[in-house]
Parts: sequence; C-alpha cells; structure tokens
Amino acid sequence: MKPSRVSIAFLIFILGCMLSTARIVWDAPRPNSPPDSAQGVGRRSDQRFAALKTSLPERGVVGYLGEPGAAGLGDYYLAQYALAPVVVDYSPNHPLVVGNFPRSPAVSPALGPPSENLRLVKDFGDGVLLLANEGAN
Amino acid sequence: MALVLPVLVCLASGLLLVCLGWSRTGPLPSDLLLRASLTVGYGLGVFSVIYFLSRVCNVTHLMLVDLLVLALLSAAAVLAWARGQSANAVAMRTSGADQGPAWFQRVLLAAFVIALCSAIYSAVLRMRAYPYGDGWDAFAIWNLHARFLFLGGPHWRDGFTPLIPWSHPDYPLLLPASIAHFWTYLGRDDPRVPASISFFFTFATVGVLFSALSILRGRAQAMLGAITLLATPTFIEQGAWQYADVPLSFFYLATAVLLCLHDEKTLQASSKPPAGGLLALAGVAAGFAAWTKNEGVLFLGAILLARQWISLREARRQAPQGALHGAKIAFARHSGLLLAGSAPVFLLIIYFKHRVAPPGDLFSDPSSMLHRALQLARDWAIIRWYVRGFFRFGGWLLVPGSLLLVGLYFVAGREDHRAAHPGFRTSVLALALTLVGYFAIYLITPYDIYWHLRFSLSRLFLQLWPSTVFLFFLAVRGLPGDSRSEV
Repeated sequence: MKPSRVSIAFLIFILGCMLSTARIVWDAPRPNSPPDSAQGVGRRSDQRFAALKTSLPERGVVGYLGEPGAAGLGDYYLAQYALAPVVVDYSPNHPLVVGNFPRSPAVSPALGPPSENLRLVKDFGDGVLLLANEGAN
Repeated sequence: MALVLPVLVCLASGLLLVCLGWSRTGPLPSDLLLRASLTVGYGLGVFSVIYFLSRVCNVTHLMLVDLLVLALLSAAAVLAWARGQSANAVAMRTSGADQGPAWFQRVLLAAFVIALCSAIYSAVLRMRAYPYGDGWDAFAIWNLHARFLFLGGPHWRDGFTPLIPWSHPDYPLLLPASIAHFWTYLGRDDPRVPASISFFFTFATVGVLFSALSILRGRAQAMLGAITLLATPTFIEQGAWQYADVPLSFFYLATAVLLCLHDEKTLQASSKPPAGGLLALAGVAAGFAAWTKNEGVLFLGAILLARQWISLREARRQAPQGALHGAKIAFARHSGLLLAGSAPVFLLIIYFKHRVAPPGDLFSDPSSMLHRALQLARDWAIIRWYVRGFFRFGGWLLVPGSLLLVGLYFVAGREDHRAAHPGFRTSVLALALTLVGYFAIYLITPYDIYWHLRFSLSRLFLQLWPSTVFLFFLAVRGLPGDSRSEV
C-alpha cells in the first residue's frame, strides 16, 4: 500500500524528533567522567569554605572581598552558597569580612587591603581569608 | 533509607489530594499513570506548603505535622468517597479512529522507546556530572533558599534579605521548601535531593502529557506528544539544571490537562454534569504554579480570566431562550471552583510576599515603567526576539520543533470539535495571555532589555512548551487507522 501524504508528514515529524534525540545523547556528559567534575561546584564552595565556616558566627551578616569580573562574581555566589545561613554582603563594611581569591591565592595577602581598617585574622589557604574591619560598626 | 518515609508521606499526600478531586474508579492504565504523575507534583507542592508553614509557626516536629496533614487528607478523601462523587467516575473513552495503521504504530512505538531511553540516559548522566545543577541559578537561587530554610533555624528569614538581591529573595518557595523538607528528614543538605526532585518533575511532566493525551486522544497521539517533549534537548537539559522552569511547566500542563478532562467528562455525561473536583484540582495546580515562580502568578491570573471569558461565551451559546441567567450561574460556579482550588496557595503567596520577601526587582516606580513601556524600540526588540526564539527554541538538531509542529498541522489538519472544547479554548487563551504578560514584563524591565531577553526568553518558552505540545496533539488530526479500537 502506498503511504499517504499525511503518513509521510508524520514520518518526517518522527525523523525530526529522532535527530534531536541523537543530539540529546551526543551532548550528554561521558559516562566515565567522575561525579561533579564538570563544574566542581561542591569543590569550589562547600569544600573550599569548610574551615572558614567553623570560624564564622552561626548567623548574621559578614562582608566580602573578592576578585573583580564575572568569574569573581561567580566565586561570590559560591561563597554565599557555602556559608549559608550566614548572609554574605558584597561589601567590606562589616566587622568580619570574607576574602576570596581563588585565582591568586599566593599573592592575595600581599594585594594590600583596599581599606586601612582591614586586618588579616586568618589565612585558610587556597585564597580563602578571614579579615576584620576595625572601622566597621 | 532515611528518605523512604518522607518520600512515602510526600507521595501519599499528593495522591490523596489528587483523589479528593478525582474519584474515578477503574483500571485504565493511562488513568493510573496520570494520577501517578500528578501525585509527584502535588505531593511536592503539599510538602513545600507544610514546610513553609512549619517555619512560619516555628514548629520543630515536622514529622508530626506531616502525619497530621496526611490524616486530614485521608479523612477528607474518605468523606468524599462516602458522599459518592460518582459524577467524576465517567469512563474515559479513547478514540481508536486516529491510531494509524499497524506499521505506523510499530514505528511510533520504537521511536517512543528510543526517545524515552535517550532522555533518561542523558538526564541520569547530567545528574551525575552536575549534582549541584548546571548554571548559576541552581545554587545561587533555588538551592540557596533551601539552605537558608533548612540551616537557618529560627532565623531562616535572614536568607530573604535585600542584602543579596541577586538571589531573588522574592521568588516563591515551592522548590526550596520541598527540598528543605527532605533535608530535614535526612539531617543534612544532600545535593542529591534537589537533583532527584528535578529529575522526577521532568519525567512526571512527560507522564502527565502522555497519559492525558492517551485518555483524550488515544495511544498514537500520546506517543507523538511524548516523543516531541522527550526530543526537546532544552527540556531534558534544563530538567537536570535544577531550575524552577520545568516544575513550573509541569503545573501549567497539569492545569490545562485537568481543565480539558473536566470538559471532556462534561460532554460525555451531558445528563448529569461531573462534580467540580477536577476544576478544583486544576485551580490547585495553577496555585502551585504561582508558588513555584513569579511567572506562575501571571499564569494564574490568565487562567482565571480565560475561564471566565470562555464560560460566559459558552453560557450565551448553549443556553436556550430565557435560561441564560441559569447557565451563567452554572458556569460561574465552575470558575469559582477553579478560584477556590487556587485560593489557599495564593493566600500563602500573599503572606510570603508581604511578610517575608523584600520587594521584587522588576517593578520600579510607575513613571519609569511607563517611560520604558512607551519606547517603541523596546517593543520591536522583544518582537524580534520572540520570532527568533520561535525558530531557535529547544535546541533542536537541524529542524526546529516549532517548525515541525507547524508543518504537521498544515498537512494533517485539526479536529474542529476538539478545538471547540471550552477547556481547550481556555488553555490556549491562558497560554496566549501569559505570553503577552511576559512581553509586558520585558517592556518594563529595569535591566538591559537584550541582556534580559538573552538570559530568560528560552526558559519562558520552555515553561509553555509542554502545554503547547499537549494542546497541539489534542487538536491535530491523527493518522487514519485501519482498525477501530476502544478502551
């Protein structure tokens, strides 16, 4: 029996869907890649800030100092995610300030604080610092 | 193992809520699949409401509250059953005329299985590769709010401060509160919880689409609809992103499906109209949509407006001379049920917006909004992006899914009597109004309009996509079959 025009239209439709199904499989992460290897959110947030978190109060607001640019903004979001329920305000005008310099950990203390009132309380390594702002209320 | 109890309680709550509105009896497999798929979304919705209210009231014994709600829902379901809501028990019939010839059904089944397996394969690998979600919104908005709710103790409101406006503290809490609810049982903020919730929302959406089309149009249309959704790369990707757009699309779809089911039952049982349980359930789904994302508030308004408009037109069309008043009352009752279903969740949203969340970032002072709205260049920019989005949406390979649907429509045609159903027309109008509402929001946005369009338009289209696919395959004519079958 000769397929009708409508049958052919349905078959073309299904073929179009199958093409995109192939894309879904093709674009999927490789099965042998280790978990959380794509972005490493856990490594860049929870693991990186685990030691610092124990030094912060259980709640309240702390300040933040980080690297400039879009990547720096992403680091800030990751810091807030790791340090919740403490609120991390993107400003150094708080008695306690989190310093986050993942791309320049070795030089971060030598960068020099942007304010004379900032004092290093503790360097947790890997660019994670706890600073005190003695001029903040 | 620690998650077995909360998962069971969550699903039981959802199932009881579904059964309250839909007391159909009968072993039709599609019916069971539809209930099961709806149960996932409704259960998570109930779980989020319980958790939020527990936080507001400083209740620490969450399990007690869960069991209390479960007992109340069980009692209500038993009462409803004892009162015999038999009007909802109209047997659904599937049209066997458009199932296509046997060879076509075999091709369709093979394509469906391939699409389903591929989507599950991709989703599982994405969950593994991106346990915290892919993209910033997952950990910067939704899972961050969940953390504040879970870890904040009595100070959970700290997370909804204007000090971190980028986290959108005015966004509603269905997703964060349901995640936090499971974390409370687990005792830790395990990233597998939000990942699993996203996974189940993705495939429950497919389940609702497939089973609803199966009931209303038969298995062939159901498989075509499901294949379309499963083959949409953006849908599968964003399902694993842990964003709220796929859950929102679930509730949009559930609302449309329940409205269409109600009206199908009305047509089948013209002598005794069905009880309004399905309409109330549709209202609950629209309420949960508003509790998922701010766009859902727009959809809730759109669906109420559309239902009222279509109902009045139906009343004028159907009522014999002199009986218009009675018909209007009957249709007003139906609109009232939709409103009643959404009201409890909507009141919760009002409380959240006024007592917990700071003002949103989209609405500035009226004069600035008016100034932006009157700039024709903005209208033109949005129209261009809408048109471009129509062709590019979904990340399809070679041929856009939207074009495939348009092509199929022109060749196959539509079933006019389906397109005339009030439920169908209400849903189409509501989606159109929602799209117009999105347009209006872009007009007044205080952000750079191109930046805003670039980072949100495809997700807004995604929210409407499952409902669009459902309504398309509900109305489009199927392939003529070589046999008639009836369930």
